[in-house]
Amino acid sequence: MRTVRLHARLLALFLCLLGVGSVLWQVLVQEIPLSDSEVDPVWIVDARIEFQGEDNSPVKLEMYVPSGKGEFVTLSESFVGNKYGINVSTHNGNRLATWSTRRAAGKQVLYYRLVLARRFVVERGPASSPQFRPSEPLEGAERAAAEALLGPIRERSADIQTFVSETIATVNDDTNDSVRLLLAGDRSVEQRTRVVEMLLSAAHVPVEQVHVLRLSGQSVSPEMWLRSFNGESWLYLNPLTAEQGLPEQSIVWWTGSDPLVQVEGASLPRLQFSVHRSEMSTIQMARNVQPLQQRVFWGLSLYDLPLESQKTFRIIMMIPLGVLLILMLRNLVGVETLGTFTPVLVALAFRETDLIWGIFLFTVVTALGLSLRSYLDHLRLQLLPRLSVVLTFVVVVITLISVFGHRLGLERGLSVALFPMVILTMVIERLSIVWEERGGLHSMKVALGTLLAATLAHLLMIRPDLTYFFFTFPGALLVVVSVMLLMGHYRGYRLSELRRFRALTKD
Amino acid sequence: MFWLKTWRALRRKGVLGINQRNGELVLRYNPRHLYPLVDDKLQTKQRAIAAGIEVPELYGVISTEQGIAGLGALLSGHRDFVIKPAQGAGGDGIVVISDRFDSMFRTSSGRLMSLDELEFHVSGILSGIYSLGGHRDCALIEYRVRPDNVFSAISFEGVPDIRIIVLCGYPVMAMLRLPTRQSQGKANLHQGAIGVGVDLASGITMGGTWHNLKIDRHPDTASPVSGVQLPYWEQFLQLASRSYDITGLGYLGVDMVLDCDAGPMILELNARPGLNIQIANDAGLMERCQTVEAEMERCREQGIEVGAQERIRFCQQRFGSRSEA
Repeated sequence: MRTVRLHARLLALFLCLLGVGSVLWQVLVQEIPLSDSEVDPVWIVDARIEFQGEDNSPVKLEMYVPSGKGEFVTLSESFVGNKYGINVSTHNGNRLATWSTRRAAGKQVLYYRLVLARRFVVERGPASSPQFRPSEPLEGAERAAAEALLGPIRERSADIQTFVSETIATVNDDTNDSVRLLLAGDRSVEQRTRVVEMLLSAAHVPVEQVHVLRLSGQSVSPEMWLRSFNGESWLYLNPLTAEQGLPEQSIVWWTGSDPLVQVEGASLPRLQFSVHRSEMSTIQMARNVQPLQQRVFWGLSLYDLPLESQKTFRIIMMIPLGVLLILMLRNLVGVETLGTFTPVLVALAFRETDLIWGIFLFTVVTALGLSLRSYLDHLRLQLLPRLSVVLTFVVVVITLISVFGHRLGLERGLSVALFPMVILTMVIERLSIVWEERGGLHSMKVALGTLLAATLAHLLMIRPDLTYFFFTFPGALLVVVSVMLLMGHYRGYRLSELRRFRALTKD
Repeated sequence: MFWLKTWRALRRKGVLGINQRNGELVLRYNPRHLYPLVDDKLQTKQRAIAAGIEVPELYGVISTEQGIAGLGALLSGHRDFVIKPAQGAGGDGIVVISDRFDSMFRTSSGRLMSLDELEFHVSGILSGIYSLGGHRDCALIEYRVRPDNVFSAISFEGVPDIRIIVLCGYPVMAMLRLPTRQSQGKANLHQGAIGVGVDLASGITMGGTWHNLKIDRHPDTASPVSGVQLPYWEQFLQLASRSYDITGLGYLGVDMVLDCDAGPMILELNARPGLNIQIANDAGLMERCQTVEAEMERCREQGIEVGAQERIRFCQQRFGSRSEA
């Protein structure tokens, strides 16, 4: 006996760990949200391109779009342009979108929309080294100025990172004559960046322009940054302040010194960016990301079923929980019910009819059925014919209720049609047996117990958060099984027995 | 807090709960395949007869429609008898004929039935309308028990019976069940009969229980239920103890009656006896079962073969004569 109990406990422990483990795996590794209501921020980035077409001439517009690599994941991307063909290609490590049309006249507006999220980001392999660009040969005064600047920089720096930041600091020092010479009177960010690039390439430090769009904050146009490769990873630096690292919540739009938009056959376009933040249900997001990343979410296998089956499984997955509740009510509390599964079946029937109406129907139909059954008793019918008569009677009663309900304008009455008749018939049959064996009072008690258990099971089984949980994490059912296993060896009193044997405690 | 206190008090007293009864006694000692032995009264009876145990005499069995024709001949020698379904439950389908009147039969409630009506009733039993599963059944015709006069003061109607709980042949607790007006002559506690605890050592009745309450007077006759000496007490204990040997079921409720002529006899056996016997005896079954289990363990270790007599002796010494205290 003891070894059997130990066996059961070990099995319960094993199943429990397995269940908890599978849920944890889904939550921690697959990043599936624990709750249906969990939302994640999404950023919607809109780029609006406006230009004037010239007299029905063909137009070809090219714009760099983000590559989708980095700490954000692209949920969706759309290109909108009336009568424009769209083609996306790769160009110098960037993605390039090309809008083209045969004829464009008047004002033309194109849109590019990007929806980004931070979850489900795919781990990337190590950054690859960039391509070196041959340094432009410098001549004359420029060469002298560059060498004058590079000397001290080289002395003050230890590695690529400090070298680059030192260069940026130097170029932003307007008091330096050499810098002024190189800037040639242009103190814009672009010019300073160009000078920094020039100095660094002269020193054989590879550096590249990056254009970064901040997703938060007021300025919604790409900022220019520099990045340098230190042999292991990219270093991002602000060309004005030498600040390191990309700002929070920003994406790299494109790299290189080419302009963002190039257009053929039309005037220079006006570009306008706007970003707004929104929210999206995480589970929805997980399901959207799945096909985009060609990543198999084993943890969401149930979501791959056809919608109709999903609906059924949302109900089926809750049945063990309902059974567990009935088990507890019977073995811990001592509520008397008609078997274990009848209350669960009645609870499933309540799903169709709604609770109050379901209880009303259950009571009325069962009461009528019981009276018919007691009448049939006098006829001494055999079991099967008797059951068939009761079933037919139940069908007739339910039909009448539906018809009258409809006449009286109670549309609720129609939901009855799906109320499982066989369940009701079995309830009537079993109740009448209890009535015969143990008397009317006891059968009332059993009927009430069944109704109570069914109501509680119904309320438990329709909870949306639990439905979501068990549908999304089917492994949790193993935990339910382990509780059931432990209940199998429960030897304590039922609560009702404490009342029943009260007399024994008085001496 | 109330719950916890009650819980502890019950545990201290060794009171057996349903979960414990099912898990530790019924599941352990009663193999499922032996249940038909007690569910089918014919099988119980045949086993008992083979072992020489007193049961109400079986006049005949009708198991086929053709057999019904022989009913008249079967009944010809008997003025009074009982017709019952072999697998009935709750006392349904039982007809008690107490006398004949001309060619008619008078039931115990005074109704007159013709032979045709009896034949129809037997036909109903055969088709299974009284058996719970609706299986085909057979009808037993047997001796009508006439209760001994000793019960007349404390019994209302019907036949009182004696239930003894037996664990592997050890009679651990006993109770006298008395029908009341409410139970309509039936001796089932949940139908309103009262249970009266019986001292195992002496066979003298103690306090009673009715609807989970402790009582000391019969609700219908108002006479005290305690202090009545049950006659043939040793024989009752013997019958109970031996019913383990004929069925092999380790945890049994043995229901017996005391006939005024034939003495103690077994009426039926129950593989899941109820727990209210504990209230009637004001004692816990679990405590007693554990005592018996320890004794069985001791005997097994020492290789002692224990007979029915020793088992009864042991129980009487350990559980009996509480009335002296």
